Amino acid sequence: MNQSTPTEQLIVPYGVVLCGAARRLAGVSYRDFSTKPEATAESYLCAYEKFGGSVLAWTDLSIEAADFGQKIIYPEESTAFPDYTDPLIKDIEDYRKLKRINLKDAKRMQGVLETIRIVLNSKRFEGGSIASLCLGPLAVLNMMRGAKRLFKDCVLYPNEVMACMETITEVLIEYVEAMCDAGLMNVALDTLLASWSGLSRELWEKIEGPFVREIADAIRKKQSLLFIHNCGDGPYFDSQIKFMEPMAISFAQLPDDCPDRKELKRRYGDQVVLVGNISTPLLSYGTPEEVMAECRVIIEDLAPGGNFILAPGCEFPPDGPFENAMAIIEAAEQYG
Amino acid sequence: MTEETIILKDLESAVLNHDDQLLNKALKIAIDAGIQSVEIRRSILGGLDRVRRKLMSNETSLPELLISLDITAQGLETLFSQEGLTPAKDPVSLVIGVVEGDPHDLGKNIIVQIYKSFGYEVCDLGAQVPKERFVKAVKEKNARVLALSAMMSTTMTAMPEIIKEARAISPGTVILVGGAPLDEVLARTYGADGYAESAVTILEETERTITRCMGKTK
Repeated sequence: MNQSTPTEQLIVPYGVVLCGAARRLAGVSYRDFSTKPEATAESYLCAYEKFGGSVLAWTDLSIEAADFGQKIIYPEESTAFPDYTDPLIKDIEDYRKLKRINLKDAKRMQGVLETIRIVLNSKRFEGGSIASLCLGPLAVLNMMRGAKRLFKDCVLYPNEVMACMETITEVLIEYVEAMCDAGLMNVALDTLLASWSGLSRELWEKIEGPFVREIADAIRKKQSLLFIHNCGDGPYFDSQIKFMEPMAISFAQLPDDCPDRKELKRRYGDQVVLVGNISTPLLSYGTPEEVMAECRVIIEDLAPGGNFILAPGCEFPPDGPFENAMAIIEAAEQYG
Repeated sequence: MTEETIILKDLESAVLNHDDQLLNKALKIAIDAGIQSVEIRRSILGGLDRVRRKLMSNETSLPELLISLDITAQGLETLFSQEGLTPAKDPVSLVIGVVEGDPHDLGKNIIVQIYKSFGYEVCDLGAQVPKERFVKAVKEKNARVLALSAMMSTTMTAMPEIIKEARAISPGTVILVGGAPLDEVLARTYGADGYAESAVTILEETERTITRCMGKTK
């Protein structure tokens, strides 16, 4: 994984992480991008043609929850989201009532798998690499219960929450295995709530840790590379490494035990590939020069010694200017 | 320690440790004993403030704050349901909501509960609020503060127009913005007076921004 020695020129791999923004290249509405695999695939093929590198075949946070039966709203020009006025898990009793679903009938997850197949089989994608993302079971539950209720339930009714997590995890294992079978070399797990803005470290280790370990093991058994994505405030790198042993962690904010990027590099740089952490607000409103300046600082902090991929802290802003995506690539080439 | 002090400590402890049974018991004793409502309120809020500060220093987490907020609300509601008691004199009038197209209201809801607990007069417009409703509410409520939230980069772009129109109709209103895709620079770019980085520090940020704006107008 090391990309350089101190005497060599640094090579800085990069990822632009165009997801929702990719649809603009193909002239596709957000609704179609989320629900029509052909439109999704076309978006990613356009993104690959324009920016090269790898693509992340993922559309929004509601994919898994939709298949469990959560009602989802699909705006024409914005990210899909659950109808929080009508959560699938309405009461504590509903946690144990959630039914296991059959992956072959899971329309949206099948849509992601179909997208992967279309992209990988396209001649336009020669030389490209593709990854995808699966929400951790707690994040799926978040979509079906609502954050406020779920957070409190984790403290007050942990056994009910965990019973439901077991059901969700069985399906997610099948889903990530199918992703790997479809040809993915990288699968990312989103463990957003393993952060200061989610649950406490102890509670997360109890509630979600054992379940994501099972999913991580399933990905490794398929010989795929495991990434973690966590764009929460103060992510718990140590707990996530303990439970999932990922190859890489994509992050937006510094871990809760690191005051700055240099300490992050010192503490975790030889354990995982660090992927990040260009500010997404900056990518929305900044100039390409400002983006390049930020990239330069990040490269200086995190690239020495390798184990680093320059990337946004979360997906590239769906409405962000493409000049700023290009600035990431230029920065990787110029300052690497 | 006097009996009154013990009861007030119990109230603080009930919120800190989210113990609703202790809260109900101590509250009944406090009211029956004729302890002044201002003292009772101070103890309940003292408990909430300790949870808030523990969260700021990573000693507790968001779920615990949410539960403590519920217990605080329950305690204050019981207290102010007593005849003749009112939450606060000359409360700060505040309008808050999540911008149009955005359903994510966890942060906004936490903030609303904190504001209400600490005596703000809150007009909560909810989530997915169109510009016109913000502007109308600012005018009707003669709002001292307008707080806007957005959790999506696709929806935060509604903010500059809301800010512009709210300013035109009520130049004295202090405007705060917050949410995951924003930062301090973007808040300034959008024309807001302040940026609320975290629900936990919202009180301090609001007070700081109001003070700063008052300084500007002197």
